[in-house]
Amino acid sequence: MAINAFQAALFGLFACLASLPGMGGTTIGNYTLGRPLVAGLIVGIIMGDMQTGILVGAAIQVVYIALVTPGGTVSADVRAVSYIGIPLAILAIKNSGIDPASAEAAGMAASLGAAVGTLGTVLFYGTATINLVWQGMGWKWLEKGDLHKLYLVNNVLPWIGHIVCSFLPTFIITMGGTAMVDLMKTYMPMDGIAMKTLFTVGSLLPTVGIAILLKQVISKPTDFLTFFFGFTLSAVMGCNLIAAAGIGCFFALINYEIASLKIDLANAPKAAIASGSDDEEEEDI
Amino acid sequence: MAEKKKLSKKTLAKSFRNWSYGNLTCFSQEHMQTFGYLCAMLPIVEELYDTPEEQKQALQTYSAFFNTEPQIGTMIVGVTAGLEEARANGEAIDDDAINGIRAGLMGPLAGLGDSLIVGTLIPILLGIALGLSTGGSPLGAIFYIVVWNLLMFLGMRFAYNQGYELGGKAVEALVGPKAKALRDSIVMVGTMVIGAVGATWVSITCSPNLVLPGGGKFQDTLDGIYPHLLPMVFIIFCWYMMTKKKVNPIVMMLILVVIAFVGVLIGFFDPALSY
Repeated sequence: MAINAFQAALFGLFACLASLPGMGGTTIGNYTLGRPLVAGLIVGIIMGDMQTGILVGAAIQVVYIALVTPGGTVSADVRAVSYIGIPLAILAIKNSGIDPASAEAAGMAASLGAAVGTLGTVLFYGTATINLVWQGMGWKWLEKGDLHKLYLVNNVLPWIGHIVCSFLPTFIITMGGTAMVDLMKTYMPMDGIAMKTLFTVGSLLPTVGIAILLKQVISKPTDFLTFFFGFTLSAVMGCNLIAAAGIGCFFALINYEIASLKIDLANAPKAAIASGSDDEEEEDI
Repeated sequence: MAEKKKLSKKTLAKSFRNWSYGNLTCFSQEHMQTFGYLCAMLPIVEELYDTPEEQKQALQTYSAFFNTEPQIGTMIVGVTAGLEEARANGEAIDDDAINGIRAGLMGPLAGLGDSLIVGTLIPILLGIALGLSTGGSPLGAIFYIVVWNLLMFLGMRFAYNQGYELGGKAVEALVGPKAKALRDSIVMVGTMVIGAVGATWVSITCSPNLVLPGGGKFQDTLDGIYPHLLPMVFIIFCWYMMTKKKVNPIVMMLILVVIAFVGVLIGFFDPALSY
């Protein structure tokens, strides 16, 4: 299996759209096209093997399930993860003959994706820095009252930066993908320490993504019980995610009812009866 | 006295479109979302003010630094559209007032958006989508594409219109006590789903060759203590390092590389593969 110039160009185009900051906008670009699972579907279709694409995308998605970028600091670049990492991982898996649905393939995909994504942060800073040039022009146009040129600054000129920082790197690296994967096969045998480590890292990496999420949602020690509850639902009771979300919603409802009851009770002496909230009438004293 | 100026539906829709597409297209570390904001306000000032000079002056208000979580931050754009309309009708609102409101809102809404949208909603959607992707099915990706974009389109349009119509009160609804109870409850669902994601999608096992003196496999013993014990231990370890020891995610990944390397060397980890 190899990647031809047309396929590599398509990856390059999607990289432009899916980056953060990208030309597809935040909602459709970064948060849709940039998610590895969606990219897995797209790359899979482009490479003619949708199934492997999705399996690889899903494996990498777990690592980046929570890619929060507070204040514009990034720990991984989505265009690199999704449109360089996934094509390379598909090549590596196909050309080494591992079963794409196996845990080994998932581990290989996750570690390749993470390696490429971390190196790719340089592309993020590159794009943002080039945008400074357009913004500088924008300030001048704003000063002169040439207001419609702002659309040019915001929607058109950043494409130039993306050709340099998104299209070209993606195109060149995915074009050379087959050669790279062949080299890897020759110099890094599967039973060697390097490959064993690579796969093990791949299985460990998703924990970082989940821990980043936990950091966001855990504000007091008892929140761990909630997390542990969800983990147990799946690990011991065999609930899938939809079932776990359903059970979670039920407990959240109880939690909300209790919390709003508390608020109503706290407000009751001050607000008397008049401002009683609509859903908790009966419990008001 | 002149007739009261009122922004047309078309202009508001254009402003919304400009923001929802362009909030980050020309991002830089220095000005972040400022140019997206300028483009969102441009249709508004063009409709409200007649002379180019007035338009320019009004637009320059929005050249102050701006950055927030772009989805939920749509509300701020709506609020300023309302404020600008009031100002064009002669109300005493100066640049400082508008920028004070903008700066006061962007921080709290960024925190809210990061934890609710990026930290909870997206992982839930992706978690469900991953569940639907078993065996390489495209259903999960399609589910995510449709549901996420639909929710965001409707949600952001709602936020914009609420901001425009209610002004500051709209934000009140997001940060008031009842809203906090709702938010905490949603985060609770998120926390459980994250737990389920951890148990479903992380697969860490020790080497199959690792055998206890009695003859049983060590992995079986671990499963006997608690199923998926190793993933749980590693998740807690990463959380501890990143939260308590302030290790950043890249360094955390490197630590895991070292653990994997050492683990493979001493024979604890062994993926048992061949080409």
